[in-house]
Amino acid sequence: MSEVMVIGAFADEEECIEAVHALAHAGYRKPRVFSPIPCAKLLAALGHTKSPVRAIVLCGGIIGALSGFALTIGTSLYWPHYVGGKPIVSLTPFVIIAFELMILFGALSGLTGFFGLVRFPRLESAEGFLPSFSGDRFGIAVACTDADRSKVETLLRNAGAEEVVRESVA
Amino acid sequence: MAVTKPSYREIDQAVLRTLETPGFKYWLWIGFLLLLIVWGALCWTRQIYEGLGVTGLRQPTMWAVYITNFVFWVGIAHSGTLISAILYLFRSRWRTAVYRCAETMTAFAVMTAGLFPMIHLGRVWFLYWLLPYPNQRALQPNFRSPLVWDAFAVSTYLTVSIVFLFMGLIPDVANAREASKGWRRIFYSIVSLGWQGTDEQWRHYSMLYLLLAGLATPLVLSVHSVVSWDFAMAQLPGWHSTIFAPYFVAGAIFSGCALVLTLLIPMRRWLRLEELVTLWHMDNLAKIVLFTSLIVSYSYATESFMVWYTHDPFEMMTFHVRYINYGFWIMVFCNCLAPLPLFSGRIRRNMPAVWVISIFVNIGMWFERFVIIAGSLSSNFVPSQWGPFQISVTEFSITLGSFAWFLMLFSLFTKFLPIVSMTELKEGVGWLRQALREDSAEAA
Repeated sequence: MSEVMVIGAFADEEECIEAVHALAHAGYRKPRVFSPIPCAKLLAALGHTKSPVRAIVLCGGIIGALSGFALTIGTSLYWPHYVGGKPIVSLTPFVIIAFELMILFGALSGLTGFFGLVRFPRLESAEGFLPSFSGDRFGIAVACTDADRSKVETLLRNAGAEEVVRESVA
Repeated sequence: MAVTKPSYREIDQAVLRTLETPGFKYWLWIGFLLLLIVWGALCWTRQIYEGLGVTGLRQPTMWAVYITNFVFWVGIAHSGTLISAILYLFRSRWRTAVYRCAETMTAFAVMTAGLFPMIHLGRVWFLYWLLPYPNQRALQPNFRSPLVWDAFAVSTYLTVSIVFLFMGLIPDVANAREASKGWRRIFYSIVSLGWQGTDEQWRHYSMLYLLLAGLATPLVLSVHSVVSWDFAMAQLPGWHSTIFAPYFVAGAIFSGCALVLTLLIPMRRWLRLEELVTLWHMDNLAKIVLFTSLIVSYSYATESFMVWYTHDPFEMMTFHVRYINYGFWIMVFCNCLAPLPLFSGRIRRNMPAVWVISIFVNIGMWFERFVIIAGSLSSNFVPSQWGPFQISVTEFSITLGSFAWFLMLFSLFTKFLPIVSMTELKEGVGWLRQALREDSAEAA
């Protein structure tokens, strides 16, 4: 049976959320949703859990802080530099280096993790994307069989979609 | 009746209009800035060729204009992180229209600041000695030195600021990609990395953006604290003070917000952005300038009080010399007195007046750093060493060149990347509509 992608464009965020609920009720639990702005209610309607980016940033931060201590303590012991009777391993100033590296590694690992999770850079367009979804329209793309197409189209229109188009799935 | 203007589309149109092909006047401005940059670069070349003797650096004032510029530009950077990260965490409503401009300023200001340790180094080709790497000369940075903390703090700040700026740009550049053609479409496609605003992308994006704001907030406080410790850790009268960290951070936010105003006021007019960057936004920025001005004034008073209270003869002498110096009174006038008219709501919404005040603050904050750095060094523990500092043509030209470099980067950004965040304005469109309604009611 051939598959098609039915795409609904919404002018209003609330209507888009309503459509997501209606689709979930009809058994379409994971439609792809496009939005020009971040929308927490939309993500909640889709049942998304919190992003694993949190854990990646935490790991990066811990590795960064440990690297900061390793760099400062290790090199100070290897090349001891006696100044004004200060201890070779002076933890108080080393905390500053560890803190800066914690932030640096946390931020860079978060960025790298984000790129990995969303598969950036992407060369191909996501199925169901319309240019207006970057600007002023919310979009829902549902992959369904040819037989279910009219049912999905009706669901989207009833929820308030101002435009419904279809694409064949590659 | 529900207010529906501006709509998402109108916000997009207003911001994307700023990306239209620039005209002759714009290139004339860029050409003028380039000339100043070339002049500054030539002066730096002469300094490298002839040595630091061409500057006004003489014993005992071996830190002066270059280090002042470094602290000034790092300070300028702080407003960007305040507006983009700290106010984001506090869910501030007015930051949406101005944060991109401030964040862009942050990245370029840190890039400008980063030039000055190199210029000040004299023998710039030994810069790599600062890096911690194993080598046969057994040279390793002394991690107990505040200068090394500074190198780590400023380079981390630059990296995180650029990451934060870039993250904010991704959805907006994707929007610009859909509306553009030719080389711009290719450029925006590369920068947006294939962003299409899917739920999965927003899910990870929103979390990372929040975490970056959370990371940038303590970072920004640490960076200027570390910069202040370059001075406070030394024993020199005028430098050795425990209030330096909060005093410098407040001063940094003060000067940064003032420069945001200096740039935004003409920019919103030339780019016809008055409908998006409203008087309400400018009013709030002016309030931050006023508030931080009061903190800075209080810091000046506390600093002087502590000197009097301790009765340390060296500190007393340094401050006596400071009080008879014109630089001190310039900074008091510009930083403590000039912003006081901002208590009036009418003046906060009068753009020419706010622009003039912001210029005063920029001048005053440069002088504040100069008075602290060069003034304290020129009257150290040993009176026989005392000597006034004379700024040279080389230092003046390189300083001028650094302003031109910063303005050129900023001007190029405004015409090639969205200088106002469309995504965040749309997200908070209700507040924008309310601001416009209030502004028009006030005007009526």
